[in-house]
Amino acid sequence: MVIVVGTPLVMGLRYSLHRVFLYDFNNQVFVGLENYWKAFADPLFVNALRITGLFTLGCVVLSVGFGILIAFLLNARQVKLRPMWMALFLIPFVMTPVVGGIAWRFFIWQQEFGVVNQISSYFGGGMPFWLLERDTALYATIITNSWHLIPLAVLVFYAALTTIPDELHEAGRVDGAGPFQALWYIVLPILRPHILFVSIIIITSAFREFDMIWALTGGGPGRSTTVLSIFAYNRGIANQDMGMANTIAFSMFLIMAVIAWLYITLYRRTLGDKA
Amino acid sequence: MTNRMMSARLRKRGAVWIIHALLAIWLVISLLPPVMLIAASLNRTALFRSPMDLLTFRDFTLENFTQAFTRGDFWFFFTNSVIISASAVVITLVVCVPLAYGLTKISGRARAAVSFGVLAMRFIPYVVLALPLFLIFVNLGLSGSRTGLLLAHLSIHIPFATWMLVGFFDTVPQELEEAGIVDGCNPWHLFWHVSLPVVRSGVIALAILVFIISWNEYLFALFLAGNSAQPLTVGITRFLGGAEAGAEYGVIAAYAVLVIAPVILFALTANRYIVSGMTAGAVKG
Repeated sequence: MVIVVGTPLVMGLRYSLHRVFLYDFNNQVFVGLENYWKAFADPLFVNALRITGLFTLGCVVLSVGFGILIAFLLNARQVKLRPMWMALFLIPFVMTPVVGGIAWRFFIWQQEFGVVNQISSYFGGGMPFWLLERDTALYATIITNSWHLIPLAVLVFYAALTTIPDELHEAGRVDGAGPFQALWYIVLPILRPHILFVSIIIITSAFREFDMIWALTGGGPGRSTTVLSIFAYNRGIANQDMGMANTIAFSMFLIMAVIAWLYITLYRRTLGDKA
Repeated sequence: MTNRMMSARLRKRGAVWIIHALLAIWLVISLLPPVMLIAASLNRTALFRSPMDLLTFRDFTLENFTQAFTRGDFWFFFTNSVIISASAVVITLVVCVPLAYGLTKISGRARAAVSFGVLAMRFIPYVVLALPLFLIFVNLGLSGSRTGLLLAHLSIHIPFATWMLVGFFDTVPQELEEAGIVDGCNPWHLFWHVSLPVVRSGVIALAILVFIISWNEYLFALFLAGNSAQPLTVGITRFLGGAEAGAEYGVIAAYAVLVIAPVILFALTANRYIVSGMTAGAVKG
């Protein structure tokens, strides 16, 4: 296990400290942190960092929000056939992300015949080129990727909700709590550690997302959806600058390590509160 | 019946309607993209068309599928996908089941350290592995081979599978193994005949999840598959350049339907395992 993951990690760090070009692969020069200084001085890298941050944040907010809402609805006493609902809700999650991206691109976001614009024009709204305009492309990719990730959030929140004893809901009803009060005062506090957990798996997944964005926009228009994964690909494969590509990737690793460390600290504290 | 009771009953019925309406809306959003793909694959269409046109099957045809099968090297990509995904499942199980079982037998610090390492690996962005692997494989002569791509897949599967399986083996009651020891089982028997049957459904769940992850994988394939090991996910994106002009749009849809067919079938038939496997992973958090 250490070999399988450790080797590429160590080699990645090594390459990031060298000047490595694919067209001149055997001529590798040690340059220390030069690639890192260059990256952080590069406005394109900073842009990719910003886009990745926005993309990740958007996916977390949408996934956690809709995840709780849908799990809450699904857990309502009156809903029958819950396994069937759940099985169907899972489909966006298991569906191949590149194919999901293609389907959204062709049928949902497409300018003339896409579902969004068909509905919009029915109500007299505009028909923007969602994926081809700088202002909207990032939002469209965030929504599409959230569509893919929300089932995961629903699953976790739903599993957590089924552990809430019925008496608690009963007590809430006796006290005259409506559905919104129940959601706010009973469900949310109980879900707190799960919200943290779902957030970290969504962050991990959205932060490294490549497939979905690649299929939807390829990182464009301009660089408005070029996240770090795509930026690293462009630098490494298209520009053949493997030293810089590994620097970008290893920076991603360091950022993720900090996030993971923060998460573990926070998680321990949340559990500590309960104990 | 008093007025108040009636209004309460009406309100309850209203709540039932609202809950189901909201769930139904979400269901439509969830299923619209795959349903539209299927609809487009079954219509004679070269250009983009309105959703209603497609969903009413105005120009029904199966020809897109015969085209998808015969053109675009479908069977080449399909073979690569099947070989890589199936080998990934087999190797992951063979390596991780004994490994995880062994981990539950050691205790204290060593185990905590290993579990922490395994958990930490799950945070690694794939591109961090893909870029160095690309260069390492060039050096080893593995670039563009199925073996190389499979090794890359294993680098995600092994930490994930070990982490999940340790959780499953932890649920095996201590007394069960103790009873086995009293009955004179050797360690191999304890593992194979006592513990493994208890975690059977967990192992099935894991096998399905590993298959789905491998089948859907795209990033590693793009970096490492070269020209001879490309799976279906790469096969479908090759069409995208031409699709912008609207060309062969029904054929792309048919191709896409064939790519997602296995995972969708799994989701529908084996969802019990998928749900339990993913929930188990979640609860362990």
